[in-house]
Amino acid sequence: MAYAYLFKYIIIGDTGVGKSCLLLQFTDKRFQPVHDLTIGVEFGARMITIDGKQIKLQIWDTAGQESFRSITRSYYRGAAGALLVYDITRRDTFNHLTTWLEDARQHSNSNMVIMLIGNKSDLESRREVKKEEGEAFAREHGLIFMETSAKTASNVEEAFINTAKEIYEKIQEGVFDINNEANGIKIGPQHAATNSTLSGGQGGQQAGGGCC
Amino acid sequence: MPKNAFTNDKITPTHPVMARCVVFHLLLTKKRSTRKNKSDQASGQKSSDVACRGSAQSADTHNTLIGLCYKMSDNEHPATDMQENIKGQIPKESPPPSQDVQSDSSADVAPTRKTRKRPENKPPPEVQESPGTASVAENASKASTQTTVTQGGWGSWGSWGKSLLSTATATVTTVGQGLSQVIEKAETSLGIPSPTELSGQMEKEDDAEGTIPSPSSSSEGKPAEGDGNVLGSAMGMLSSLSSVVQSTSKTVISGGLDALEFIGKKTMDVIAEGDPGFKKTKGLMNRTSTLSQVLREAKEREEQQTAKDVTSETEKKAHYGMLFDEFQGLSHLEALEILSRESEAKVKSVLTTLSGEELTTLRDDLEQIKESFSLMEFDDEEVDDPQVDDGESFVKELTDALKKLHISTTAERLGKARKNAFDRIMDMKIPSEAKQQQEDGSEHEATVTRCTVEDVHFSAITSLAELTARSIEQFHKVAEMLLHTSTDGVTALEQAKVLAQITVVLCKEISVLSKKFTACLATVGSNEKGEVLNPLITGVFLEASNSASYIQDAFQLLMPVLEVSHIESTADSSH
Repeated sequence: MAYAYLFKYIIIGDTGVGKSCLLLQFTDKRFQPVHDLTIGVEFGARMITIDGKQIKLQIWDTAGQESFRSITRSYYRGAAGALLVYDITRRDTFNHLTTWLEDARQHSNSNMVIMLIGNKSDLESRREVKKEEGEAFAREHGLIFMETSAKTASNVEEAFINTAKEIYEKIQEGVFDINNEANGIKIGPQHAATNSTLSGGQGGQQAGGGCC
Repeated sequence: MPKNAFTNDKITPTHPVMARCVVFHLLLTKKRSTRKNKSDQASGQKSSDVACRGSAQSADTHNTLIGLCYKMSDNEHPATDMQENIKGQIPKESPPPSQDVQSDSSADVAPTRKTRKRPENKPPPEVQESPGTASVAENASKASTQTTVTQGGWGSWGSWGKSLLSTATATVTTVGQGLSQVIEKAETSLGIPSPTELSGQMEKEDDAEGTIPSPSSSSEGKPAEGDGNVLGSAMGMLSSLSSVVQSTSKTVISGGLDALEFIGKKTMDVIAEGDPGFKKTKGLMNRTSTLSQVLREAKEREEQQTAKDVTSETEKKAHYGMLFDEFQGLSHLEALEILSRESEAKVKSVLTTLSGEELTTLRDDLEQIKESFSLMEFDDEEVDDPQVDDGESFVKELTDALKKLHISTTAERLGKARKNAFDRIMDMKIPSEAKQQQEDGSEHEATVTRCTVEDVHFSAITSLAELTARSIEQFHKVAEMLLHTSTDGVTALEQAKVLAQITVVLCKEISVLSKKFTACLATVGSNEKGEVLNPLITGVFLEASNSASYIQDAFQLLMPVLEVSHIESTADSSH
């Protein structure tokens, strides 16, 4: 379980756009048509490989309901990447993107990589938002863009991994200060092998202390 | 030389070397005590009396200590006779009271010493094992050097005890020689330079005493020499010999005491090292407030050991911190910390905006809420018998408590974590029980062999990590719901008390789990060595302690959240 980097992601967007389903598809490779409303935030994690390096994605899947906004905003801080999700079958979710984006930019670090995701691409017949609109919005706001389907798993991996690649590139470019954990990036244990044996029960405490 | 420290009470010869040294020591102390006792007697023949008694007693003690089975009376009287024969003019005297005391004590001590001598040969193998297993990596090098010393000593001393015993019983006249051999052996094995002169002198003495016809007297040959100075002063003809003997016995004694001191110290070290779990076990049994400290110390030692132990796959596998993280415990804790921190800031800012009565009232309210967070007491002793706990009471208790919070949250996930844990225990327990009950189940036998202590340990750590992560998650969800919805019909103070109660329930469950798993470990690992089993049991208790700390810390994080909730609800009601 040793990793070179840990990236913190947040998934944001209107309620019902499929944030939790995207996460479930990415972490568990399964689709759950009926999903409980997310309360506050839920979590997922997965290991990916970029440039031969093991990177752990720690994903904070936030509640989309307006009433939870004040709470979920608290969780934006310290995220290296954000998946801003809308539903291609519901134009209102696309229309709210500006608010979400403002919120995200305001409550997170300026270098946060944002991936715009038009989800439910499998429901072509019910499409309300054209792919070009999404691309245009992304271009305008400097985001990466992808259409995905949590149901068919189309582009789900890519969405998460491309975001990680972007973050990784920014690290290489020196944009991210990897020593500042407020950027949502943690460096993995230097001597992973020895550390995992050495720390034993301390591990939890160390990690716990790390987030204080 | 702190001779008086080596009294009969203090020196319980724990192995032949000690017994040996005690012999030499007693030769001196007996002489002294008899001198002292002698002053009680109005006898004119002080020295001869002393010499007589001294020799008898020394012989007696000696024989007793080395495990000879002579009866006291058999020994004493011939000895007295011998002295009379030599001196020719010692008045017949009933044994003085002091002698009775001495012989009584010797008689009392004799059987115990004899019986103790046998089990004494047992500790060495144990000691040899501990460095052998190399699991005691931390002290391995130290221990091994120590034990090589003691091993050598103990081994040869063990054979000495036997050989002397057989020599003494078989050919009584060669006892003296046997002794000199013994001394040589002792000194070589102890690393004390062997005084060749000594054995030479001893042989001479043997010759000198060879003139004494009584077989019992020759059996006392050596002890009589110990008192040779007294004897010598009474009888001029033996003075030169006795002085030599005195000096040699002094050498032996001082050497013996040094050796005793050395061995005694090493023995303690070895015993302490032989049972690394002793301290922890003791600490755990007491279950005092320093439990976590004891566990932490134990764990530190364990970690140092495992750090050197490259093959420790289990330790890697059953990594509490990693498992806790896998169950998203860390993420929930991090999120809870964020909410707690922001709430704290909010409370502070609200307090700065208030003044006068409003401020005092709020301060009082907040103080009350704070109190319910500090009054939380968790008494481990209260934990019910885990046997009668079926798990339903845990979920029911939690659900009832959560209802009192008037927020929409369930104990579903906690209940599931708890069920998972107990399923794991049952999986491990059923095979062993089934094995006893039904002999036919060959598949059960297979499961028995499959379940190792490492498996149990892994299950235990996993279960603790899961239940703790779910507990943190529960508190995190409570915090989110408290901040999300205004709670009607319940005050923050009441909520604080309910949350304290929930914390106790959770910590109790952690304790129950750890006890169940350690019991399981003890059952499964009943054939394992302490060095294998003890660290695993300690590990479970440590992580249980860690778990309880996490849960209690999470509970504390809820305080600012409740304060905010209180501020918001009072603000709502005032509108």
